[in-house]
Amino acid sequence: MAFAVLSDVVKRYDQKLTVDHVNFSIQEGEIFGLLGPNGAGKSTTISMICGLLKADGGDIVIDGLSVLSKPLEVKKRIGLVPQELALYENMTATENVSFFGKLYGLRGKLLKERVEEALAFTGLSDRAKDKPSTFSGGMKRRLNIACAIMHRPKLIIMDEPTVGIDPQSRNHILESVKALNKLGSTVIYTSHYMEEVAAICDRVAIMDKGHIIACGTEHELRERVAHEEKIVVKASHITPALIQELKQHPRISRVELNEDTVELYLPSSQSELQDILFIFAKHEGVIASLNIEEPDLETLFLSLTGRTLRD
Amino acid sequence: MNIWTIMTYELRRLFRSRSMLLNMFLLPMVLIFLLGASLSGVVGVKSATKIEPVRVAVVNPAGEGQSAMIAAFVKLPEIQKVIVPQDVESRQAAESGLRTGKYGYAVIVPDGFDREVQQGGKAQLEFILGKNHTDNLAAGTAFDNFLSTVNYKQAAVAALGPQAMAVEASSSENHEAVKLGDLNNGGRTYTASQFYAASMLLMFLLYSGMTVTNSLFSEKDNHTLHRINSMPVKASELFIGKMLGVGIVSIIQCLAIILLSDWLFGVYWGNRPGLLLLFCLLMIIASMTLSIVVSLFSKTAASARSIISVVTVCMTFISGGMAPLPDSWVNTIGAFTINHWVLQAIVRMMLHSELSQLAPNLLMISVICLVMLCGAIFSYWKVGYHE
Repeated sequence: MAFAVLSDVVKRYDQKLTVDHVNFSIQEGEIFGLLGPNGAGKSTTISMICGLLKADGGDIVIDGLSVLSKPLEVKKRIGLVPQELALYENMTATENVSFFGKLYGLRGKLLKERVEEALAFTGLSDRAKDKPSTFSGGMKRRLNIACAIMHRPKLIIMDEPTVGIDPQSRNHILESVKALNKLGSTVIYTSHYMEEVAAICDRVAIMDKGHIIACGTEHELRERVAHEEKIVVKASHITPALIQELKQHPRISRVELNEDTVELYLPSSQSELQDILFIFAKHEGVIASLNIEEPDLETLFLSLTGRTLRD
Repeated sequence: MNIWTIMTYELRRLFRSRSMLLNMFLLPMVLIFLLGASLSGVVGVKSATKIEPVRVAVVNPAGEGQSAMIAAFVKLPEIQKVIVPQDVESRQAAESGLRTGKYGYAVIVPDGFDREVQQGGKAQLEFILGKNHTDNLAAGTAFDNFLSTVNYKQAAVAALGPQAMAVEASSSENHEAVKLGDLNNGGRTYTASQFYAASMLLMFLLYSGMTVTNSLFSEKDNHTLHRINSMPVKASELFIGKMLGVGIVSIIQCLAIILLSDWLFGVYWGNRPGLLLLFCLLMIIASMTLSIVVSLFSKTAASARSIISVVTVCMTFISGGMAPLPDSWVNTIGAFTINHWVLQAIVRMMLHSELSQLAPNLLMISVICLVMLCGAIFSYWKVGYHE
């Protein structure tokens, strides 16, 4: 039985549909990724799951309880790691976690244990008595997570938790997500970083303009674009005429120029490689390297929407 | 239970803010001291009750024009408690004596004063003020009383005939010639320190609205409101908890201002401490509800703070909190401010006024609070409190 079910969920701002009849379900114990560019409707969907926003249509059921009819009961089962840091700068790390723990109904010895546990889990035990104003960006992100997990929620929702942090802290957070999942929590993880979602999620839903445009395991999603491949050519002396001729090639569906790198999307076939090399030679483009990449979620998104995730 | 948790953490956060502590507790005391000291000369004098006799130069013309009435008046025992008359030959000598401090006040009697009065004319004297305000007030009051009495008798005789003089003479009693103080309040008066202590107390209680604004917007700025809204906490619990926290801080601020001003500057707050606290509590409620309305409808903390600052300063000025205003249209507008009703009530309590004199103020501020509370509830219902 699914742990979370979204059925025909709709959200409008003024007359614009921000979330347009979204349907998906999440199984208990899985890490579910919600991938999409900025403005796709991920945060709005998350806000409706958490009961922060009321859906204009459809229903959201978490652990058998409707968010619409039992919002407080649902909220007890959820731990939200918001996209923005949500901390009190003039309270210590312990006080921050403890305050939010009390609001989840934890008291006394249990609260103390859970606070220590959450700080230890996020690697902040030695900074427990320090205020977040003295923390690095990565440490603040970890404290942000500690404040959401101390009550051991059944469902942890992480809304872009790695925005603007260093690679080391990012890895720590991704490992934490996996560890929390192993401890029994179901996780919804939203991001516009395709690599993160691919690395940790069991299943992924891709959102664009308020719609779920694809949903499945990474393998299933890759299968949908298995017939496409991306050729990345690093070269010098790339002229507009060269790009123009590449775009006019009947088999190349899309050409992306990024400084000295040209990305070419085309149906998988080795036969066009000769053509590409010929066009570069014709326009005196000097190739430094050429890679044929496997289709990934980025490729799928591009294939479905004609845009990249970071557009 | 959530309300208690939110309230206690709100208090903890507020008391950790140094700028807030300085603004709430130190600044009012500094202002009370500065305003009280600079505008009264002495801080902590509860009432001035003793009058030192004033040396008054009396320029009474010699010969036929000399006034026997004035000469007799200044020799009256009750008048000599207030003034020490000194016969001076000329105006120049009187002015010279005033400049050197020999005299505290001077009276120039017009030539033929008695004759003018006996012919039914208006009794008039010329006064030259000295350097000391209290001396001028005491001597001036004595001579004003004399002129008033003479003119009153003139009017009575002109209207009722000579028998009016006899009736008036039998009804008049010997009163103290000059009595210092507010005669409408059992002889009590209030000092500049008391006035500005009351005024500053109210201004800072009105500023407690700023704490409401900071508190409401800080949750948004920290994004903690977003997190708390995702928790099993009712929105009303969050709002009530925060407002209770701010309200308690304001009550502590109110008590601190009253007790510290009493202890440090000897400010006397009257004989009704319970009623004083009730008025302050109503003032806090009015100020907080006003700020709730402003904060909920403002898009940014800066705009809400600006509105509250302007409203606070304007209300304090218009209500006569910066300086007592003369009877004018400004004074009339003052009745529409929150401060006005509480300031008047506190001043009256300082003067030991009867409860019946305070009741209209209590009723008025209660009505204001009720209206503001309804406004705040409506605003919350309409706008809500979320990011």
